[in-house]
Amino acid sequence: MDRSTLHKFWNPVTETMPRADLADWQWRKLERALARAKAGSPFWAARIPDGISSLKDYAERMPILRKADLIAAEAEAPPYGTLPSTDPSLGIRYHQTSGTSGNTPLRTFDTARDWAWAVDMWCTALHGAGIRPGQRACVAFGYGLFIGFWGMQDALMRMGCQIYPTGAMDSKTRVQLLVDKKIEVLASTPTYALRLLDTAREMGIDLARDGSLKRVIASAEPMSAATRRTITEGFGAPITDIAGMTELGTIFMFECLSGSPHIIENNYIEEVLDPETGRPVEYGERGVRVTTGLGREGIQVFRYWTEDVVIKRPWSECGCGRSWDWYAGGIIGRHDDMRKIRGIPVTPVLIEDVVRTFPEVFEFQSVLRTVRGLDGILIRVEPHTGFGVTGLDERIRAEVKRKIGLQPEVELVGPGILPRFEAKAVRFHDER
Amino acid sequence: MTNGDGFLTERHRQDLVDCYEKLHGLAATCDVPAVRAAARAAIAEVHAALDGQAIEFEYYSHRWENR
Ligand SMILES: [Zn+2]
Repeated sequence: MDRSTLHKFWNPVTETMPRADLADWQWRKLERALARAKAGSPFWAARIPDGISSLKDYAERMPILRKADLIAAEAEAPPYGTLPSTDPSLGIRYHQTSGTSGNTPLRTFDTARDWAWAVDMWCTALHGAGIRPGQRACVAFGYGLFIGFWGMQDALMRMGCQIYPTGAMDSKTRVQLLVDKKIEVLASTPTYALRLLDTAREMGIDLARDGSLKRVIASAEPMSAATRRTITEGFGAPITDIAGMTELGTIFMFECLSGSPHIIENNYIEEVLDPETGRPVEYGERGVRVTTGLGREGIQVFRYWTEDVVIKRPWSECGCGRSWDWYAGGIIGRHDDMRKIRGIPVTPVLIEDVVRTFPEVFEFQSVLRTVRGLDGILIRVEPHTGFGVTGLDERIRAEVKRKIGLQPEVELVGPGILPRFEAKAVRFHDER
Repeated sequence: MTNGDGFLTERHRQDLVDCYEKLHGLAATCDVPAVRAAARAAIAEVHAALDGQAIEFEYYSHRWENR
């Protein structure tokens, strides 16, 4: 018997709970979470309305939390200000967001209890992706202040997998290790997975043929369908999309073996709201994720506006047996990344989905800009070395026009011109 | 062993709850650094299992201090 289907669930009780029981369990946890926040955090004590009596009441009366609110609360007395619900000196880990483009980073800590929970969320996802004790795993990750795959590292160890740490290795050494050590599980951002494939190609290694990978875990960035296909074919292994947030301290969503990205609903309350009206949308309708984390005692978040664009589907539409709702296509994009050019909506993933269908493309960047009073897109493309690129710019231009409805300018650039990313890739710039 | 379908038996459920309570007792009263550290680390792990099985759930670290 294939071991990956034996004991299908990490926690059978909570993963298959009838929906009414799940709501009761969420409410029981939420009541305790609100009580802890009121007792321990001046920020939350001033913000949580009195007498919240049900999940419905909570969704109606609890104010929405924005990232700026968290940053402001921490700024009152750095590093954590008025936010913590539990004494930060009980924290055993510190993490922060990258704080790119001059933004203040969001700082966070975990108590031992919080971290054990965070790791258990990863175990839920990895077990659900068919990963089992004894497998050899490599997390291609920088192991710095960004929380990234830290939880996955500990989860693999907790599950009894064997970790091959590659923190300071360059891409060539990592590719060689994948082959030599017969690594079965690889985790990285989608961007870095593409880089490894490119490095392998330069080394004359076909990882689908020469490697032993059984599963690729992709996280920390939204992924286009084209990128997904390239990674799956390149490594010769299926891919599992997992999403988390520094604000929540760990992951909140993972893809089951049937391909549905489930919300870990015994630990999160996830609402999907219309960004214009702030009202909940129906199943199948596009909206913005608003999340409540139930797992943490140090830094808590209630009704956090994530900017993630999602489409929620009911649990019953996935056949895997979990009673958890899921997000069709995972995180589709970011609401604050949505731009309009001459009335046409454009997002980074939309462009990526077209550009990545061209195997010649190694790296790219899109720039929204105004030329002689007219808004337009410039796509800079760095092709792989060794590919013929005659007419590539024309073909990309035509395909973007066909799929998105806008004619971009396409500029081919030489090797090493565009920035490289290991963590959160930023390929989309609005210079208007 | 489990019931076969991956659910806990009543006996295992009780053992898990008893472990958790005993560990809390140790963490609260034992002053030997190595033992207290082991108890606290184990509590965090056992709590994750209790939570995942929808048996028990609490925020407890505020009852502690770093000594
Ligand atoms: Zn499923």
